[in-house]
Amino acid sequence: MSTVAAPSDPTQLRAWLQGAARHDRGAFRALYEASAPRLYGLALRILGRRELAEEVLQESFVAIWHHAADYESALSAPMTWMTTIVRNRAFDVLRRTRSEGELDASEGHALESLADLAATPADRMQMSSEAQALADCMAALEDRHREVVGMAFFHDLSHSDVAEKLTLPLGTVKTWIRRSLARLHACLSARGAA
Amino acid sequence: MKLRDNEPLRERLAAEYVLGTLRGRARRRFEGLMHDDAALRRTTREWNERLGAMAEFAPPVAPDRRVWRAIESRLGLRAAAPRWQFWRHGSLALWRTLGLASSALAALLLVTVLLDRPDTTRMSDIASLTDEQARPALVVTADRERGLMTVKVVASVPLTAQQALQLWAVPRDGKPRSLGVLGADRQLTLPLPANAIGADVAVLAVSLEPKGGSRNPDGPSGPVLYKGAWVRLM
Repeated sequence: MSTVAAPSDPTQLRAWLQGAARHDRGAFRALYEASAPRLYGLALRILGRRELAEEVLQESFVAIWHHAADYESALSAPMTWMTTIVRNRAFDVLRRTRSEGELDASEGHALESLADLAATPADRMQMSSEAQALADCMAALEDRHREVVGMAFFHDLSHSDVAEKLTLPLGTVKTWIRRSLARLHACLSARGAA
Repeated sequence: MKLRDNEPLRERLAAEYVLGTLRGRARRRFEGLMHDDAALRRTTREWNERLGAMAEFAPPVAPDRRVWRAIESRLGLRAAAPRWQFWRHGSLALWRTLGLASSALAALLLVTVLLDRPDTTRMSDIASLTDEQARPALVVTADRERGLMTVKVVASVPLTAQQALQLWAVPRDGKPRSLGVLGADRQLTLPLPANAIGADVAVLAVSLEPKGGSRNPDGPSGPVLYKGAWVRLM
């Protein structure tokens, strides 16, 4: 651990979140500056369109401001708490735009690059230690299994959606996901114990 | 299914709940079970910590500065933009949602319109524009086939001879587009340009303007009195 706080330093993020809970504007601004690029990157990855990702980022930070007091630091890392908010909101928008039939082209593109993303996540140094551990454990999965897990996570897809997009039998997808999740669990537990 | 005694199944369901592959009825049933089962909530939370970290794999991208400005305005963290510059307040997303939520209202409205307009079979879209108290003031109907739209004032809107109402299509990005100016008439039929009803139009708005319309080509010069979103009927 370096002595200079990284942008994703959980202790710092937690302090800013607690500041936001007290309606400290400066802390909220600092929280935004430190986490918005990562959260926006996530929304953009899910939605593939800037204006939709901006809408999600905005909605998410409004929610973060209003719900910062509900954040329980003992139960969740600050980055996980915020990414869960962004992911859920992005999925809401994804469902809305899917039902309007707007998103297919950009979504196809986003899906293509997913395999790479899960295999070689961007700038490890910027990631939390939890994300680095997960990246290592995912790297140990077979390529196609990792792709299936990443696809479900980033694109709100059911087993049958994944099966259809990858032209795989449904049973294969179910088995791969089940097996991958069990392996990730074992791998992360082993690292945690080490 | 005896979930309580089946630890591997509990783990698997919690993981698939977080991953998102647990869907539909199974998902709702799982949420019901979590409600009464603190241990299951904890298992799910642990999976959210494990898999949630995947969110950090996406490469960071600096958002445009307007996002922060919109957040600040919405939360009242700084002096807000002038009230009439409503599209700078960043609540278009909210309006879109409100527009969808009020389709029941639009359906009601349709009944009213149908009663006094026999040719509504050609109507493809309808928007009910309401004031701040959600009272309907104007109804805009579109006929995509014939490329026409009709604006009808349904409330009493007191205008002086020097005043007019101007109708705008507000896109999700960019400047509002003027659709027409309504003077003393209670009803007006206008051509329907494609950019009045495209998928990027977040909301329709009506501003109070001097006779002849806003002098500012980029948007309203007066206060926005009414707004509402399109609802597609067919």
